[in-house]
Parts: sequence; structure tokens; C-alpha cells
Amino acid sequence: MATLTLENVAQTYNPGEDPDRWALKPLELTLESGRTYALVGPSGCGKTTLLNILSGLVTPSHGRVTFDGVDVTSTPTRLRNIAQVFQFPVIYRSMTVRDNLAFPLECRGWPRSRIEERVRAVAEALGLADGLDVPASRLSADEKQLISLGRGLVRDDVAAVLMDEPLTVIDPQLKLSLRRKIRQLSDEFAPTVIYVTHDQYEAMTFAQELLVMSEGRLIQRGTPEQLFESPSSTFVGWFVGSPSMNFLRGTLERGAARVGEHLIDLAWSPPVPHGSEVTVGIRPEYIRIVDGGSHPGDASETSVHGRLVAVQDHGESRVCEIQVREQQVAVKVRREVHVPKVGSFVDLGLPRSKCLPYVEGRLATCGD
Amino acid sequence: MSRWPRRAQYLLLIVWAVFTAMPFLWAITTSFKDVNAVQGHVTYVPWLEFEPTLEAWRQIFGGAGGVNLVGPFVNSLIITVCASAIAIVLGALAAYGLSRFRYRIGPAKNKDIVFFFVSQRIMPPVVLVIPFFFLLQMPGLLDTRLGLIIVTVALLLPIAVWVMVDFFDNIPREIDEMAMLEGCTPMQAFLRAIVPNSAPGLTVAAMFCAVFGWNDFFFAFRLTFTQVQTLPQAVVALNSSIPPWWTLSAAALFGIIPLLVLAVLVERYLSKGNLAGAVR
Ligand SMILES: Nc1ncnc2c1ncn2[C@@H]1O[C@H](COP(=O)(O)OP(=O)(O)OP(=O)(O)O)[C@@H](O)[C@H]1O
Ligand SMILES: [Mg+2]
Repeated sequence: MATLTLENVAQTYNPGEDPDRWALKPLELTLESGRTYALVGPSGCGKTTLLNILSGLVTPSHGRVTFDGVDVTSTPTRLRNIAQVFQFPVIYRSMTVRDNLAFPLECRGWPRSRIEERVRAVAEALGLADGLDVPASRLSADEKQLISLGRGLVRDDVAAVLMDEPLTVIDPQLKLSLRRKIRQLSDEFAPTVIYVTHDQYEAMTFAQELLVMSEGRLIQRGTPEQLFESPSSTFVGWFVGSPSMNFLRGTLERGAARVGEHLIDLAWSPPVPHGSEVTVGIRPEYIRIVDGGSHPGDASETSVHGRLVAVQDHGESRVCEIQVREQQVAVKVRREVHVPKVGSFVDLGLPRSKCLPYVEGRLATCGD
Repeated sequence: MSRWPRRAQYLLLIVWAVFTAMPFLWAITTSFKDVNAVQGHVTYVPWLEFEPTLEAWRQIFGGAGGVNLVGPFVNSLIITVCASAIAIVLGALAAYGLSRFRYRIGPAKNKDIVFFFVSQRIMPPVVLVIPFFFLLQMPGLLDTRLGLIIVTVALLLPIAVWVMVDFFDNIPREIDEMAMLEGCTPMQAFLRAIVPNSAPGLTVAAMFCAVFGWNDFFFAFRLTFTQVQTLPQAVVALNSSIPPWWTLSAAALFGIIPLLVLAVLVERYLSKGNLAGAVR
């Protein structure tokens, strides 16, 4: 277990490249010992690069990496004591399952008895105990990845466990139970865990804290709740959540946002002059479809008029797409809520406290 | 597909099979003939068409009036095995480096360096043999097995490097990265994680080396004189004004035995499944 810090770390794979195009832009980051982090972001945003810098497989072109305050920037990978699990299984086909799991421990020169004990514990946790003497080449893709995971979790003295989309190749049905097993195994020795994933649901259920990256920058870090309730930028609002946050472009007018004929009340008034551009961000979960008969909204809600253009059935919920002027608004409603016919006009209730003001793509500070 | 193209394919294959098998049949029957049987009509069936004799085989193993090929055979074997082994070890190390690390020699990058290796084989042997001659002459290695081994290593290395670079490039980097994460130095990662998983690649490279090494005539011919003779040299030396087809046939058959054994040994490594995805 260790606290990992990156001090002004940046990475470019092509020396002399324009800093705007670096794979990783200068970054300050502290990852607390024993916490579980999920790293999310679109493909190519630098997630693997960040992990490789932590594990030492890549030496950053700028900045310092420290573990528990000790500078490890130029320490080779093998001396950093980090475990990593890759997207695709990394196993040795010529060895049995047991030897594959024992390999990391043998490399570290552990005593036989301790190796045996640890291999058994991990194999049991991952449900591999019965096939320990099977040659690894005979396993299915899923099982191979299980062994990879096992190899990543077998050392209980590591500074950190890095996982780079470890469940991508795993059958969706198995993912849930596997995530639980990973949690269980890692909770035993509480390493610092960094878990890269494309799947935000996976990220939210697995990690205590999320790090959202985009184009080589860390955009926001926070608990799942923080990312959901107050995305620091329109990018995070768009990237986190399913469907994405709604963004309605408008102009500031008397502390509210003017969108066509509507004047949408904001959670707070952004510190920009009257008439400047402001974008209203609101999660689809917080918008209410006001039924013809039901009570109209009160003062805490802005009423917006639009036409229902499509409904997607997600099983437990439905997502309605509503055309408000020339902009689209998604509304997520629970299954039992009545949804009007496609094509009809509906009124939406936008709770004031959930309408966040964004200026130039960033969440505006409180202006008062 | 209708049946005719398929039948045509079979027909072609049969013709081809006969075409490739004929020289062997011819050599086998000829090696059991004597002068008279060879000079008569073309005959194939022993006892019916000609009287088989072991004379040719006796001659190549030192019988009266013949040349003993066992010595040259042993020479060839030693040179080929040693040179292949050295070429594989050096070649694998070089190939691993070229596959995993970035090098720069002036403007040359990894790809250029690999091409530089291969280009050694593009050059006509005549061009290479003169410098080799002088290089061996100085330390007195002309006409020795050691000298020939050194030259053969130089000739086989490009093949080994070329085959192995390609092979290592197809082994995912994560394999070595994982080994390093687990506490290996780059060299240990190579030895403990890569080599054990490279049997197919190493086998293919070894086979190429063995075949090229075994069949070398030109360099042995130019760089040895009386002390050391390799099998191809000895076989050519059997020739006289009247080609002794029977002993030549026996010698040729004798000469391909090691390659046949090798082919049988490595055959199982050469199946597609073993070559692709050696690791995952
Ligand atoms: N070894 C390398 N050499 C050159 N460029 C690289 C190298 N590795 C990554 N890059 C570049 O750096 C950028 C970030 O890559 P990285 O692999 O870190 O992204 P990622 O977030 O892990 O993407 P993904 O989700 O697809 O795995 C990409 O533009 C990529 O092309
Ligand atoms: Mg990646």
C-alpha cells in the first residue's frame, strides 16, 4: 500500500511535439493509500499511459512520480512493486494454472510454503481451485483472464494494483460476480487500486472515487455522486451518466437562462454579464413530464413546452426524447410512469435546484 | 463449386506429387545399380529389370575404390549444429532487442537495422567470400572447422534475426511487461517469459538455419582445402569424367537423412495453430 503522487507529470511519445498534443498533459495527482479509484475516459485519452507511468513501464517525459514520498521516477518497473492486469489475458501457455499464479511470487523469491498458501487462497476466491494442474493453454478466454486477474492479485504486499479494463473480454453475466471477487480479494490487503474502464456503471459500482480524463487531461475527480450531481464541465456531464446530461443553450437574462420563449431558473446565477451565453445542464433523471391533468409545477420548477419525438425502452426505465425548439431534451422516467403518445406535445418540469449553469463548457461558480 | 475444378485440382496435385517424388525414386533405384544397369535402358523395378547391388553404398562408406563420406558427414554435422545453435542464441537476443527497444544508429532505426541484417543475404556470396578469406587467414582459421563455424554463423544470423524479429513482434508486449512488473529484469523477462513461449519461432528459425547451413557448398569450398571437407564438397568430389551416378545417388540420399530426421522432429511445431497465438 502506498500513496502515489504525480507531480507535474506529462508524457509525449514524440519528442518535440506541440504540448497541446501530448498524450498526457501536465498533471498533478495524489492517490491515497488503500483507496479504490476508477479511471474513465474516451479511447485514446491517456488512461493506459497514466497507468504505465505509475508502473514504470513508461518513464514520463516530464515531472516526478513518488510513492509514499519517495521519488521513483527513474526506478525500473521491477523495483516498484506494482501489480497490473491488462485488458487481454497475459498467461504462459506452457505452464499450468498453478505455475502461472505462482510465477509472480517465485520472481520475488517468496518461500515455497507461503507461495503455496497464497496461490490456493487466490485460486479459491476466483473459483480456479479445481483446475490448478490444468495446462493454461487448455482454458477458455474467460478463464485465462481470470488467471491474469489472479496473477495481479496474488501478491499481497504490492504498493498498488493497476487494472486496465480487465473485464472487457469477460462475459457480461460474469462481470458482476467477478467485480465482487476482485473487491473481496483486494479488500483483504487493501492496496491502492486504480481501475481503468470504459463502462461507467462498472466504475461507479467498483470505485470509491472516479477520475475522468479527456484528451490527456484529468477533467474531474470525485465520488460517483459528485460526478452525477455536479459535473465540473459539460464533457463530464456528457460522459458520465446514461443517457448523458441535457444541455440547453441559452442566454443569461435576470439570473435565469433564456431558451427561446422559456426562461429557465438556474440553481445559481453565474457571474457573467446579462445577455451572455449560458448553457443549462440538467440530468434526464430530474426532469418531470407534466401530465395534462396533473398539477402544474410550482415556483421551484420551470415549465418547458416541447414535442415528444421518440421513446426508448430500457427495460426498467424509459427514455423520452423531447424536441424543445431546435434542441433535444432526454427525460428518463421509471417504467410505471405514464408516457404520452409519440408526436404529442408535453410540458416538462425542470426543478430549479437541478438546473446547473455552464459557461464556456465549465460549471459556473456561484456569482453572488 | 462443380466437381470438375475439384478434379482438375486433384489431377494437378497428382502430377506435381509425381514430379517431386520422381527424383527420389530415381535416386533410390540408381543407388542400388551398378555400371551396367545405369548405362542400359531406364529401369525402375529391382530384380525384374536389374539386379540390385550394394556396391554404391559400400563405396561411400569407404569400400574399395570409393570415398569415405562419414568424415565429411561428421564435419558437416558439427559445423551445422554448432553454427545453428550459436546463430539461434545470438539471433534471438538480437531479435528481442530489435523487437522491444528503440535503437538509433545515425539515421538508421530498428527497421533499417533489421534490413541491414537481411541484406547480408542479398549480397552475392562471391562478394562475401573474399573478406571472409582474409579474415580467417589472419588468425590461421582457414581450413579449420572453427573457421567454417564462424563463417556459417555469420551467414545464418541474418536468417535467424529476421525470423525471430517477426516472431517476437507478434508476441504481445504485455507478456514482458507483466514479467517486469513481477520482478524480472529485461533479460530475465526474456529468459523466463519469452523464451519458454517461443518454441515454435525458435524451431522455425533453427530449421532454416540447419537447412541453409547443411547445404552450404560455396563457402566451404572456398575456405577449406585439405584438412576439413564438408559433405557437399565430398559429394561433388565424387564426380569424375564419367559421372558415377550410383555413388552420387547413394551420397545424395545419405546427405538428406539429417534433414529428413529434422523435418519429422519439427513437423508438429510447424502446424498453424502452434505458430499463431503462441502465447495467448
Ligand atoms: N507507445 C506509444 N507510442 C506512441 N504513441 C502512443 C503510444 N502509446 C500510446 N500512444 C498514444 O498516446 C495516446 C494515449 O494513449 P493511451 O493508450 O494512453 O490511451 P487510452 O486512454 O488507454 O486508450 P484506450 O481506451 O483505447 O485504451 C493515444 O493518442 C495513443 O495513440
Ligand atoms: Mg488503454
